[in-house]
Amino acid sequence: MDKNIFLVGLNHRSAGVDVREKFALTSVADFETSLLAACPVREVMALSTCNRVEILVVADSTRCQGMDIKAAVLAHWAETCQGPLDVLRAHTYTHQGLDAVTHLFCVAASLDSMIMGEPQILGQLKNSYRKAVETGTARVVINRLLHKSFSVAKRVRTETAIASSAVSISYAAVELAKKIFGDLAGKTAMLVGAGEMAELAATHLLASGIEKLFICNRTYARAQELAKTMHGEAVFFEDMVERLSGVDIVISSTGSPTAIIRAKDIREVLKKRRNRAMFFIDIAVPRDIDPDVNSLDNVYLYDIDDLKEVVEENLSARKGEAVKARAIVDLETEAFAAWMKSLALQPTITDLLGRAEDVAQRELAKTLKRLGSVDDETRQALEVLVNSVSRKLLHEPICFLKRRTREEGSSDRFIDVTRRIFNLDSDPINPDAHLDRRASDDDEPLDCECCRDDELDRKEQDKQ
Amino acid sequence: MALPDILPVLVIGLYFLGTGLYVLGSVLRNERVKRTALVLAAIGFVLHGIDLAVQLVGTPHRDVVTSARFLFCLLGFGILLIFIVLWWRLRMRFLAIVALPLALIFYATAKAATGVNASLPPMLSGLFFLLHIGTLFASMALLAMAFGAGLAFLHLEKRIKTKTGLKKFQQDMPSLDTFDKVNHWVVVLGFPLYSLGVVSGFVWAWLASKRVFSFDPKEILSLVVLALFAYLFHQRVASGWRGRKPAVMTIAVFLLTVLSMLGINFLVPTTFHGFKP
Repeated sequence: MDKNIFLVGLNHRSAGVDVREKFALTSVADFETSLLAACPVREVMALSTCNRVEILVVADSTRCQGMDIKAAVLAHWAETCQGPLDVLRAHTYTHQGLDAVTHLFCVAASLDSMIMGEPQILGQLKNSYRKAVETGTARVVINRLLHKSFSVAKRVRTETAIASSAVSISYAAVELAKKIFGDLAGKTAMLVGAGEMAELAATHLLASGIEKLFICNRTYARAQELAKTMHGEAVFFEDMVERLSGVDIVISSTGSPTAIIRAKDIREVLKKRRNRAMFFIDIAVPRDIDPDVNSLDNVYLYDIDDLKEVVEENLSARKGEAVKARAIVDLETEAFAAWMKSLALQPTITDLLGRAEDVAQRELAKTLKRLGSVDDETRQALEVLVNSVSRKLLHEPICFLKRRTREEGSSDRFIDVTRRIFNLDSDPINPDAHLDRRASDDDEPLDCECCRDDELDRKEQDKQ
Repeated sequence: MALPDILPVLVIGLYFLGTGLYVLGSVLRNERVKRTALVLAAIGFVLHGIDLAVQLVGTPHRDVVTSARFLFCLLGFGILLIFIVLWWRLRMRFLAIVALPLALIFYATAKAATGVNASLPPMLSGLFFLLHIGTLFASMALLAMAFGAGLAFLHLEKRIKTKTGLKKFQQDMPSLDTFDKVNHWVVVLGFPLYSLGVVSGFVWAWLASKRVFSFDPKEILSLVVLALFAYLFHQRVASGWRGRKPAVMTIAVFLLTVLSMLGINFLVPTTFHGFKP
């Protein structure tokens, strides 16, 4: 039975925020089950974040012949959110078959995100998948597809540098501070003026181990208030320059029309500090810090434009890495296509018999070697023996599979289980998988005698 | 081939491979290549030590310690030794990129200078020789490390100051502060060592020929270096110089010492310090 994978969705590029919030599914509890009831599809998973809504649907092609799955999903979606269907249709995209697989892999690897390489999306995808598993709307295909997409995301993160550089202004400032001071532990920072971005940068600095934060504001009360929330120390505006001699990092964001920190002041400060390095971050527009400060030795001044430039450069570096990431996605999509094809009865039977013959031939070769020289008749008899044992052993499972696949709806499940029992796809086995679902914490080794036997053989062969 | 013959070839080969691989590893940002490079260099370093020991034991004492081969060998060894200490204390593995090629160059020079000897004034005592050569070589090795750290500092500082953005390679580099720390330790330790070396030389000259100063080019250059070093020491320790200025000056001082070591000893015929076949 052929499977069709559909993916209907909208994201920050295809739809504005008004459309996205209208059709968000974050607060809809049972969208998957209701869609499953409304349309003749087999599996459903919905992902809804602030930047995207994606609905993944798997349908049997025979069962849904002549039906427009996309239209049905859209209609149900619009109905659930009580929004106009034509607006939804105009802002959504549809992917089908392998395109849908590629798209999902890209989403998981954060290649489709607003800020490419930011890892939040993976966690959101995992949550959506967990929900779909719990409600029972994710089955064979979605299970496999999502597990693969998580591993694609991991590969992209480890094999490319896509998530390696800072792409937010406050984070870029912290990275620069680390490049100047090395370890930030024991360093002090001062916040001059308050603003959202400045506070964010200060929070980042505190998180990276800054020892002390001074907060300076024209209105002292505001400084005290901020000092309380950020565990800092309030400083009078008039004392600011004087206190600078004990400060390594200065983040400035006042609304002052003229510069409040001048080069000649800093020259004095540096003398007092015995030239220990200082890092100034000027987020204010118009600027608070005289640009000449940057020309002093051991002083580094970055204004908002400089930081933006750093961020943009890092972003363009990420785009370069995205090409590599796409190659990984394409490879994994191909692998997934191969698995989809194998999910029919005939290929599975062929694979099963092939596996059995492999084992039989291997064991035969070993036995023949152990026996030494034997006449042709014995050899042929042995060959017939191993082949018929392996085939007879598989006769019942194959008949069972054939019977099950005649029934509606259960074929994939049994074929998938069979493939996994015999490991026909040669998937790597993760010993830590499903730890949370294990019944008890008995640490019985999972290997059995036959494996050990195999290993011994291998060692023997290595010796020879 | 006997062991002493094959040793230098092995050491040069290992240092060469280590240097090349380390540079390659830094460019490719590959930790495994870098580690392989350091392991190869470490084997070279052990063989280097054996080579020094063989030279000391194998030939009559007097000739060995004054031979150019032994001295250059010792200098290369000292540089790596200082590098290992800095790596251990300050986590400055980055300096391998300077230490390995310098060790290679000095070791190769030693091999090329086989058979050349310094003509030494009479009235030598082992102690003076050790004092003179040992302290000067130790301070040169320190300067070599500060030279590398200084170049790295200047490069990184320029990128940060001019906001040119940091490439992958620069992101792997240690911070400006770490480079400055190297400079600090080199100046604080190197200057007393260098002074001791130069002064012991003059005392030695006085003991040997009752003349403290004989307008030997090497003596003049050493005094110039000593003056620069003293200024650097003073500024760094007393007036709190940091960052770019001491870095530039340390680079200059190191280049002058190399000039006096290679240039004068080989090219200028002098009374005391020249190497002669």
